[in-house]
Amino acid sequence: MLTTILRGALRQARRHPVYVGLDLLGLALGIGVFLSLALLVRYESSFNAGLPGVERLVRVDEHWTLAGIAPMEEADISFLALPFLRQDFPEIEDAARLLPSAFRTEQGGAFTKFDGYETDPSFFRVFGIALSRGVVDDALSRPDGLVLSEAAAMKAFGTRDILGRRVELNKAGVRSVHVVTGVMAPIHGPNLLARAEMIVPIPGEEARTRSCFLYWGSACGAIVLRLRTPEDIGAMRARLRDFVIRHASGADDDRVAIGPHPEKIYEMRLVPLRRLNFYDVGVVDSDDGVDRNVVNAIGLIGFLALVLACANTVNLATARAGLRAREVAVRKTLGATRRVLFVQFMGEALVVTAVAGIVGLVLCEILTPEIASLTGEGVTVSYGFVLAVLPVVVVVAGLASGFHPATILSGYRPAAVLAAARMPSGGRGAARLRNALVAGQFAIAIAIVICTLVIDRQTAFMRDADRGYSKSGLLIGQQVLGGDLEQERRMLDTLRAVPGVSAVGFGELEPAPHAMSRSDYKYAGPNGQVSIQMLFDRVGPGYFEVYRPRLLAGRWFDPERGQDEGPDADDLLKSKGSFNVVVNVKATTTLGFATPRQAIGQVLTADGLRARIIGVMDDMRFVSPREEVAPEIIFFDTLARVPFVDPIPAVRFQGVARAEMARRLDRAWASVRPELASNFQPADERMAELFVGDERRGHIFTVGAVVALLIACMGLYSLAAFSAIRRVHEIGIRKTLGASGGQITILLLRDFLRPVALACVLACPVAWVVMRGWLSGFEQRVPLSPLHFLVAVAAALLIAALTVLGQTVRVARAEPARALRAQ
Amino acid sequence: MLIDLSHIQRLYRSDEVETTALLDIHLGIEAGEFVAIMGPSGCGKSTLLNILGTIDRPTSGSYSFGGQELTELGEAALAAFRRENLGYVFQSFNLIDELTIEENIELALIYRRMPKAERRHRVAHAMDHVGIAHRARHYPSQLSGGQQQRAAIARAIVGEPRLILADEPTGNLDTENGAQVMDILQRLNDEGATIVMVTHSPSHADLAKRRVDMLDGQVVISVRNAI
Ligand SMILES: Nc1ncnc2c1ncn2[C@@H]1O[C@H](COP(=O)(O)OP(=O)(O)OP(=O)(O)O)[C@@H](O)[C@H]1O
Ligand SMILES: [Mg+2]
Repeated sequence: MLTTILRGALRQARRHPVYVGLDLLGLALGIGVFLSLALLVRYESSFNAGLPGVERLVRVDEHWTLAGIAPMEEADISFLALPFLRQDFPEIEDAARLLPSAFRTEQGGAFTKFDGYETDPSFFRVFGIALSRGVVDDALSRPDGLVLSEAAAMKAFGTRDILGRRVELNKAGVRSVHVVTGVMAPIHGPNLLARAEMIVPIPGEEARTRSCFLYWGSACGAIVLRLRTPEDIGAMRARLRDFVIRHASGADDDRVAIGPHPEKIYEMRLVPLRRLNFYDVGVVDSDDGVDRNVVNAIGLIGFLALVLACANTVNLATARAGLRAREVAVRKTLGATRRVLFVQFMGEALVVTAVAGIVGLVLCEILTPEIASLTGEGVTVSYGFVLAVLPVVVVVAGLASGFHPATILSGYRPAAVLAAARMPSGGRGAARLRNALVAGQFAIAIAIVICTLVIDRQTAFMRDADRGYSKSGLLIGQQVLGGDLEQERRMLDTLRAVPGVSAVGFGELEPAPHAMSRSDYKYAGPNGQVSIQMLFDRVGPGYFEVYRPRLLAGRWFDPERGQDEGPDADDLLKSKGSFNVVVNVKATTTLGFATPRQAIGQVLTADGLRARIIGVMDDMRFVSPREEVAPEIIFFDTLARVPFVDPIPAVRFQGVARAEMARRLDRAWASVRPELASNFQPADERMAELFVGDERRGHIFTVGAVVALLIACMGLYSLAAFSAIRRVHEIGIRKTLGASGGQITILLLRDFLRPVALACVLACPVAWVVMRGWLSGFEQRVPLSPLHFLVAVAAALLIAALTVLGQTVRVARAEPARALRAQ
Repeated sequence: MLIDLSHIQRLYRSDEVETTALLDIHLGIEAGEFVAIMGPSGCGKSTLLNILGTIDRPTSGSYSFGGQELTELGEAALAAFRRENLGYVFQSFNLIDELTIEENIELALIYRRMPKAERRHRVAHAMDHVGIAHRARHYPSQLSGGQQQRAAIARAIVGEPRLILADEPTGNLDTENGAQVMDILQRLNDEGATIVMVTHSPSHADLAKRRVDMLDGQVVISVRNAI
């Protein structure tokens, strides 16, 4: 039987190389894309799976429900909670605080940057990380301990055998000397620590002074818990509300607590680490998460590619069935049963699919690195996975694509076939099925094309969209530890003196901010008292010229006027004083002002502090396009007596290439603060981190669109080729009756394109619904324009027309006498 | 003279083999004639009919129809010529399986600019003429051979062509159906149509007004039948 099947498949390949080739190619493409995208989906869903006992690991998030702004969840939390958590919840086996930090090592005046954490000695136990050098329990027990990842060890020392070596660290200008006490073994697969190069203990000084160690509601890092059993997660969750009431409540003037009823605005949430990347899409302060819908869509595209390829095979096989009708009739006359023939044809389909599977595997190997570089994800071909999945895919695809044709073929009745002058087409039903399959294929392809266009527009828009400040000619430095008035003035003067610089200014908020501080303000308006939470910023002279925000009403700060000077540390701490402020438009609409102008002169209060609005500026978007811009309040600091706390230098320049300008600024910076390397960057480079993920994953849609169109065109081509052969005779008759070549071409094109037109009708509404949903996840987004749909439909029709044009013209040109003879 | 063929030659070249289907044909046909062409298989009868019907082109020679030289016309002009002037009947009927009898007949009019109502009227008339009106909505496969051939004749005459070409119209039919078809053709000729028919049946050839005998791609005899 097996040899009969193999021989049958081979004979088909020899007799109809084009059909079998198209069939094989389509299937291989489908299988290859399916495998590659399955690998990608598997990769994205295996986040943190390499951490031992990950099902017992949770991050403790803060969830705020505050007046005036949308509810939000933050990955960073007050470290004050941890001792109480340990005390109240016996479920906690171990815990660690993670303060994300950027370290620099200094060697002979050159800086090397390392990302990592300041954390507790329990860090390695909590995450179950092994050390390839050093001892887990001791590595961070001494305050000057330091653990490097293997990659970082190679980067810094060129070897992993570095225990006991001295490392001088520079963290935002603060120097410390450490001794290497361990080297981390790599963690398999994607995980939240993948970028961690350096781990050091939390300095005692920080734990004593930083507000996130001292106050509820203040946050600078994450808490990760290892529980005793996975069920403990649920058990703990049920008691967290009481926990918050017990520990975070206090009188209104209690600065440590969140207020008399913290549970009304504040909630602690446990987030299992296993799917943290999906969860983090909606979480502030976390790494850029992965939109699960997008990952699902990518998986769907892979699956659809396979379905399209199977549809192609069904199409080709039923079309070709007629050609084999005589073979079937003769075999049956010679005594073959229907079952034997069914097995024969099914077997042939499986053989073809198996060959396609092997070609698909090769395609997958070629595609996967491409996809990895397109998405920026570290996905690789995992043979264990692929070799387990491939046979299943081959069998399922083989059965799916072989069943229907085998049924038709084995069902032919010999007498009817042998008596008929022409090859049977499988009847009207089969023709309708073929058209439906092509329509379905194109519908899928067109829908993907539309989605690709919309995604492409949206990502381009996110890059180019107006952000409320002038992006070109703007370079932004790193946020540094301030507090030294003299040094800050010198810094500005030095930067201003760099050739090419036209303006310099400090602010305390930056594009893609690392830290934001918010506080509540009250406004007594005509409709009673309103309370809103506002983002705090403090800007200096020159800020306006550097960022060029749009002033919508009132005026900007004026360094010449004394009353524009903002609060000092004491004013803020004690909430006192009277100051002029500028707010953004979002603040005025949230406060209920109909126009920006109405807000001018109004006074906001925070306890004893009075803020008089002198200007309203357009919203400046420093946050992800997915997020809403928050109400913002801006104070002025002339640098006459009050130093900035965490200044962010920014520079406007002209007449110099950007890269050269950045080099000059970094050099000038080093002359004032040599201990602290700077890195002046364009604002867009910082914003990019907020949407490159979307952009890169969008590329997958492009791949999907191309593949889907390709396979759909193969289906259409084979359909056209088949019906062209069948219709030669009919065309001969029509021409004999006086139809011209042009009329025949139009007739055929119309028939061939009918399923494609139907596909357009099917695809548009689906794509519309899907894309409306996707776009609604963005606060800043493009409108869903009919143009995208028109372009996709026109492109599909054009490509389809080109696909069938060759066949059509060939048939339309045929000499009628010859056509009539060719029965 | 309605038709004037002179020095018509038709060669088929395929893979170094050259077949001479028509060697050197001279033939004139008057309007209103009924010509029967006879000859052994392979002598070129169908080829000649195809050239008369402009669905095949002679390798050389001239073909004039009603004073117009057809060999000089392009594809589109020939298509237009066919739909205005010609009607065909084939041995194997050549009806389109996917269309009903009515639609098949209408096909001969569809490429002319003609109002739908008139088309319907003419189709009905043609079907009456050959006696298959009761089968209008049937598909070809549901009809007997004789009925299919009568439908094919209806399609040939529905456009009121000046010339009807019939290639062995009775070849696939039994005696009785063959006689019916010949009856119809004679009646059409009486009504003024010019007919050229290929046949292997001497008795059917005798029903025509003139008989042309062919051999090896040439006309050997042309005799007028006594009426
Ligand atoms: N397309 C073609 N290619 C090659 N040779 C052809 C072609 N068409 C016809 N011939 C040859 O031309 C010759 C005349 O063919 P034609 O069909 O005109 O014969 P016929 O007289 O109609 O025969 P029959 O009575 O069997 O129908 C034959 O030898 C045939 O083989
Ligand atoms: Mg013949």
